[in-house]
Amino acid sequence: MDFGQYQNIVTISVYGSAIALILIGLYAVLIKKNLIKIVIGLSLADAGIHLLFVAIGYLKGGTAPIFSPSVVGENVTMVDPVPQALVLTAIVIGFAVTAVALSLVIRLYKHHNTARIDQIKSLKW
Amino acid sequence: MVISPVHYIAVPLLAAFVIPLFAKLNREFVRIIPGIVLLYLSYVSIVLMNQVSSTGTISEVLAGWAPPFGINLVFSAFSGFLASLMTFMGLVIWIYSYRFKKIDDEPALKFYVLFLMLITGAIGIVLTGDIFNLFVFLEIVGISAYSLTSFYRNRDGAEAGFKYLLLGAFASTLILLGIILLYSSIGTLNMADIAQKSHLIPTSLKVSIFILFVVGFGIEAEMFPLNGWAPDAYSQAPGPVGAAFSGIAVKAGMYVIIRLIYTLFDIEGSFQFLIVMGLITTIIAEVSAMKQTNLKRMLAYSSIGQMGIVMVAFGIGTREAIIAGLFLMLNHAIIKGLLFLSSSYLVYNDDNKLISSLSGLGKRLPLVSFLFALGAFAIVGLPPFSGFWSRLYLLLAAADKELIYLIAIILIIAVIEIVYYFRVINKLYFKDIKVKSDDVQKPSINAVISMSILGILIIAIGIYPDLVTSYLGNAADALLDKAGYIENVLVDINN
Repeated sequence: MDFGQYQNIVTISVYGSAIALILIGLYAVLIKKNLIKIVIGLSLADAGIHLLFVAIGYLKGGTAPIFSPSVVGENVTMVDPVPQALVLTAIVIGFAVTAVALSLVIRLYKHHNTARIDQIKSLKW
Repeated sequence: MVISPVHYIAVPLLAAFVIPLFAKLNREFVRIIPGIVLLYLSYVSIVLMNQVSSTGTISEVLAGWAPPFGINLVFSAFSGFLASLMTFMGLVIWIYSYRFKKIDDEPALKFYVLFLMLITGAIGIVLTGDIFNLFVFLEIVGISAYSLTSFYRNRDGAEAGFKYLLLGAFASTLILLGIILLYSSIGTLNMADIAQKSHLIPTSLKVSIFILFVVGFGIEAEMFPLNGWAPDAYSQAPGPVGAAFSGIAVKAGMYVIIRLIYTLFDIEGSFQFLIVMGLITTIIAEVSAMKQTNLKRMLAYSSIGQMGIVMVAFGIGTREAIIAGLFLMLNHAIIKGLLFLSSSYLVYNDDNKLISSLSGLGKRLPLVSFLFALGAFAIVGLPPFSGFWSRLYLLLAAADKELIYLIAIILIIAVIEIVYYFRVINKLYFKDIKVKSDDVQKPSINAVISMSILGILIIAIGIYPDLVTSYLGNAADALLDKAGYIENVLVDINN
């Protein structure tokens, strides 16, 4: 197997796993009844989105987007740095949301003594 | 020091994080610092609004990277109007919540940190010119709003907060997906640059991106069917927070939807889409409001209905309709603010916040009841209050476009509103007193001051609508001037 074919497989598997992660996450959020599993689903969907974003910024054969003395003036391809910067921000945001979500789950569990969402319905939708 | 739009974001964000340090010196700093910050921001608003009306839109480049590469802030007559409105509402809510007893029972520190973060995020959404920056500010609003919803450590607060968080986190996933699609097709995140290049995106992809964004931001803007969080959040959050949501957070979500339709994407049928969504939102919300027994939930549904009418106004799309829409947003902020603030004293000691418990409170709490009644009269659009003029402008704008069915529906909505608001007023004034006098919480002096400011403003705008219409006209012109927006932001690279 030569290098090009290998790269195609990598590309397909990265995009495929990104979409699979998003779908698994949405499935968990929509179908699962356990609050913890719902929060895990949110994180999974977030992770899928992040992977997709980084994959879109990747260029075939690109190097790290850093201007070092060895590459200045040479004709090198670099990957797009913007998605990577955005994903870093998005990871931090996802972390904060997950932390708030888990703290609310803990509080819900303390009051209801259960983590099943179908048994927590003191407020009407 | 030169006044610039950056102060809107830097000052409250910095203050939110230094408050805990100052709290170590003296607990009173916790309450005073937000007030100083909001007073300063009001001063910034006045200076910048004068500057905009004399020299035009201010586009501020951050960190020395010119757009479309760096992040910029755009203070136009339109975004500046909303930022000033949010600052003003923040100041009024701060006056109200100063030593608000229920907040002081919990650590007041948390309330003020989250409150300043909410204002920072909402003003950031309105001012930023970068779509990813918009997403970050939306998350700042989101995280502080979830926490404020579950501020009281009771059972239902956590449930309301979790529901809001689920919807909000889902929304942010969709928005991020929309940003990815947008970036992969035209390779830019600057809003002016997107507006310039949006014709390069294939229509089907553009519609998908648009729908992802509208669903994502529609949750914050209380668009049907994404508003399931609102009644729970408004009824469980502390009283001042309800006013902050309806006056500050929801306005930010609505701003993004307006910006998407008017500036960013040029999609056929998006105006009709806005009218239809607005009508569905307002009809369902107002009918639901009729059958509520919980006062806060009733106000929440009424708030959703008002935002639906705002959507209808922006969907009509003429200059007159935009003025009407902005006027409705202004009125919604001050009137619904007054209703939320006064109602939290009316149902102060009732955990279920039932309308039936208001019986005869007009005699126990004369001033609060009077202000609530004033707000109710204004929101249903009775003259001579400010709500009348916004409704009138909307009807005139609809009549200009010969949208007769729209006029009919808006008038029917007004009748429904009169029914459920007057039911509350009837309870307040024409029923026997049920509650004992020591069950009633008298409002503090600063709460009375803040509610009176809003009440006086409602009457003043009602008698002299010209006080605001010139600003609204400038704001409408700024929103319609898409070429001017692009030119202002991208001035350096186009020359």
